[in-house]
Amino acid sequence: MTNGKPVSIIMIEDDEGHARLIEKNIRRAGVSNEIIPFANGTDALDYLFGPDGSGAVSAGRQLLILLDLNLPDMGGVDILEKVKANTHTRRSPVVVLTTTDDSREIQRCYDLGANVYITKPVDYDGFANAIRQLGLFFSVIQVPETP
Amino acid sequence: MPISQAFFQRSNALLLAVGIAVLVVIVATSLWLTAASERYFGEVTAARAVRSASADLLSLVQDAETGQRGFLLTRDESYLEPYTAAVSRLADQRVRLEQAAARLREVDPILQRVTGALDRKMAELAATVQATRQGDVEAATALVRSGTGKRLMDELRADLNAIVATSETELREAIDAQLTASNRLRWTTIIGAVLILAMAGAASWTIISYTRELVAARREVEVLNIGLEERVRQRTDALVKANEEVQRFAYIVTHDLRAPLVNIMGFTSELEAMFKPIDAYVEAGAAASPEQKAAAEEALRVDVAEAIGFIRSSTRKMDGLINAILKISREGRRELRAESVDLAALIETAAGAVHHQASAEEDGGIAVDSQVPRIVSDRLSLDQIMGNLLDNAIKYRAPDRPIRIAVRTRRERRGWVTIEIEDNGRGIAASDHERVFELFRRSGAQNTAGEGIGLAHVRTMVRNLGGDIAVRSELGKGTTFTVTLPPDLAAYRRSAEA
Repeated sequence: MTNGKPVSIIMIEDDEGHARLIEKNIRRAGVSNEIIPFANGTDALDYLFGPDGSGAVSAGRQLLILLDLNLPDMGGVDILEKVKANTHTRRSPVVVLTTTDDSREIQRCYDLGANVYITKPVDYDGFANAIRQLGLFFSVIQVPETP
Repeated sequence: MPISQAFFQRSNALLLAVGIAVLVVIVATSLWLTAASERYFGEVTAARAVRSASADLLSLVQDAETGQRGFLLTRDESYLEPYTAAVSRLADQRVRLEQAAARLREVDPILQRVTGALDRKMAELAATVQATRQGDVEAATALVRSGTGKRLMDELRADLNAIVATSETELREAIDAQLTASNRLRWTTIIGAVLILAMAGAASWTIISYTRELVAARREVEVLNIGLEERVRQRTDALVKANEEVQRFAYIVTHDLRAPLVNIMGFTSELEAMFKPIDAYVEAGAAASPEQKAAAEEALRVDVAEAIGFIRSSTRKMDGLINAILKISREGRRELRAESVDLAALIETAAGAVHHQASAEEDGGIAVDSQVPRIVSDRLSLDQIMGNLLDNAIKYRAPDRPIRIAVRTRRERRGWVTIEIEDNGRGIAASDHERVFELFRRSGAQNTAGEGIGLAHVRTMVRNLGGDIAVRSELGKGTTFTVTLPPDLAAYRRSAEA
């Protein structure tokens, strides 16, 4: 990415196949940043906020979060809420990537501070296209260092 | 005793009819007794008239005799005065007596004799007076001496006194009869009045009871009305809840089915792409470069295998989801059998099935406190509900302490049964309290196997039984599931259909 500091992409996605397809398409778009995958919310929250839950572990990190809303152990919305409420992580861009296009849910995510909401299309060309464009988007956006 | 409308109408009509009959009898009796009284009064009057007429007649005859004697002694006309006066009134007096006696048949034979004797007496008196006037005192005196006059007079006196006596007897009898009649009249009136009062009392009692029952019935209807509103409200709440659940279910199902579909389509397209290097390698044949060979091998051995693996796991996942949906939908359609279930024994059995896992450690175990011995419900559903909840309590234990589970049953208001399953396991975060009941959703660390079906299934079954399930939990401390069930499934379904 732009300022030379490595931006880590946190991918919280319980479906391994989706995770693999997302990764493939991001790489295809020429984005080579580190992708850290999490298959459930608990592990992702542990990584983001540390064992004490304060979020201090994220200080100094540059994070971009890819978030699926339907996780087995908790709602993705809860994770979004926590990320946007924590001083250390609230400036990290969050891209919500999910299969539902329920307008109320989309609204709720933006209200909670989601930066982008993308519905995963079922047809693969659309899916691959969306992810590749997301990759292009990643390559130009500025991600602040978490305080 | 409840009074039906028909009984009320019949009894009131009957009482009215009886009352009218009594009234008619009283009026008839009174009329009859009054008539009798009048008749007796007439008899009294008649007897009196006979009595006075015969007494007057006797005195008149005596007056005539007195005048005759005085004239015989003095031959002075002035002494004859009583005689002439008596003779002039005698005819009238005789008519009076005959008229009065016409109402008193018993005296007829005496009256015949009196008439004869009177004629002869008056003739004897007239003969002596005539003889005296002509100066033949001797003849007159001889006539008197013959005793005919005295004998006639004695007969007359006796007969007239007999008439007086008869009429007096008659008088007494008539007065007695009148007294009896008026006594009867009084008693008839009193008894009739008592009867009518009794009828009126009975009618009043029926009317008051009936009115009281009407008021009670109306009050009951009002209470039912209020209950009805409450029931409509509950039913509406349940429908709204069920509707929301159906929407949520449809949402989850479409989302969860779409996720593997994305994988299948994605990896199928990826497969197509993977065949390009293989295709190129095959095309090149012997002239293939080592790079081409490596790329083809890489694609064939690694990428294709990966893609096929994902496609296979995705189809398997879809199949699993469809099976789970089918299971829940079948559960919703299964015919429930309401039977009397020994709830305490059922819980003991369910607890026994998992007991070895709970009591393997020190201090661990399942405590059962059954206060509801029996419930009328579907045994199979209850078995599955208890089994699922107890399994969960053991599966989601807190690893750092021995498992302790408490099962309590107790009776709530209106007989509803509450079953509580409390554990000291890892607990559920407050934000997930609703989520745990949703299909394919789980809570907390995913360190145990599971599909996220159990609690969704339990909730479907509990609701099919007419009850509900709630959760109370604190993360890290433990969880309590509370199942509330109607005491009688058959009665509940009847009232739900009503």
